[in-house]
Amino acid sequence: MSARARTATAMAFRDQRRRPLVLILLVIVPAYVITRSIAETLPTPRDVGLPGGVLVHTTMKDVHGAEMGGVTIAFVVALVGVFVMQSALEGDRRLVLAGFRPGEAVLARLAVLLAATAVVVGVSALVTALSFDAASWPEVIAALVLIGLIYGGIGALAGALLDKLAATYLMLFLAMTDVGIVQSPMFSTTPGRFAVLLPAYGPSRLMYEGAFSTSFQAAGELALGLAWLAALSVGVYVVLRRAVRAG
Amino acid sequence: MLSATLPTGAAFVREHLRTPLTLVMLIAIPAFFVLVFASVLGEFSEALGGTLASQSATAISAGWATAFLCGALAFFQVSSSRGADRRLAAAGLGPLRVASSRILAALAIGLTISAVAFVTLWLRSGIAHPLHAFAAIFAFAATYIGIGAVIGAFVKGQLEGSLLVVLVFSVDAFSDPQMTSNGLIAETPTQNAANLLVAAGGAQGSPPGDWVGAGSIALAALAVALAAFWTSARTRA
Repeated sequence: MSARARTATAMAFRDQRRRPLVLILLVIVPAYVITRSIAETLPTPRDVGLPGGVLVHTTMKDVHGAEMGGVTIAFVVALVGVFVMQSALEGDRRLVLAGFRPGEAVLARLAVLLAATAVVVGVSALVTALSFDAASWPEVIAALVLIGLIYGGIGALAGALLDKLAATYLMLFLAMTDVGIVQSPMFSTTPGRFAVLLPAYGPSRLMYEGAFSTSFQAAGELALGLAWLAALSVGVYVVLRRAVRAG
Repeated sequence: MLSATLPTGAAFVREHLRTPLTLVMLIAIPAFFVLVFASVLGEFSEALGGTLASQSATAISAGWATAFLCGALAFFQVSSSRGADRRLAAAGLGPLRVASSRILAALAIGLTISAVAFVTLWLRSGIAHPLHAFAAIFAFAATYIGIGAVIGAFVKGQLEGSLLVVLVFSVDAFSDPQMTSNGLIAETPTQNAANLLVAAGGAQGSPPGDWVGAGSIALAALAVALAAFWTSARTRA
């Protein structure tokens, strides 16, 4: 990493330190939503279909325990992505005009997005563990990280292409619909036919397998999630580079 | 005062809708929200020990879609326009007229969002008491215009503000007595509006207490929003 990239990254994190409310909310919002939704749910019986055709008999409370981390991470990290991109569009063009390479400015913003994702995933996994015992935590955490990174990327792209109000609306709707409804076994034992087209399909299947089974049969779903992540990473990098160059 | 407020309010509406995609979102999101969430909200309420029958659950999805969209709208209105509003006020329009114009713009967009949610609800599942339902949906809109504007007056950062709107919305939704059997918070801002909407969806009348409660909270929220817009237009950053 060049000295300029290190400086840009340090300044981007200093900018975040000046706004302690962001950090507080990145902790409080997932902690409240996850804890409250699991606590409120009744332990009514529910069947969940896992990758490989396995069917497990569990309760709505445990399904909510497995699900809420993913839903909350998707929405919160997507919002971070939207506003990291908006900040980049406002400030980083000046850095580039002052002599920074676009890639150096972009790396600093991506580092902030990654750090925010780590905080939200860490808090979400921790508060989930207080109310729900997953069969395989490494698999669940891998799925939560993947959901965070995928939705962070989608948020960043929305932040570049849409007005902030439209981007906020879209992120709420997409995260709730994709992770919270279409992929959720609360409303359908296995996801419907078109669920595979949405970005959270792969990591959600991985998340439910980790929550309810110790076996690993979600290799295809993991690969699909990684493919989404790779495509979005390239998209975000290209869009951010263009955005900070333009102007 | 009205001669200056009306054209300025119309200009503020145009300012929000100058990006075509924002207009598309304002129409598409409430419609999609009602269509998608209406089918699952009854099941969700049952899982949480709530008492929402499916027809009523369908109705309440319109209220919540409107609430979140209006909360975010009012927050961004205050947060993004602080500098411009101060200049407008200083240039002779005055903080009260700027604030009134902002309220007018927020109400016009809130009314549009409410109308889209209402029409979608009506087309999807029919409404036994349409006037009651529209009044209740608009009460959700007015209440969240107040909440969003207050957050915008106190929180400058856009990420922090939008996360706060999400937090308030989550506390409100999770504490609604009809969604849960274990509400920790006895009174929530949209409780009366939710009662009206659920009753309208389930073809039942509503007690006068709910009408008075929802109307008072909506009016108080709009007064608070006016104060937030006024403060934002008159104070220095």
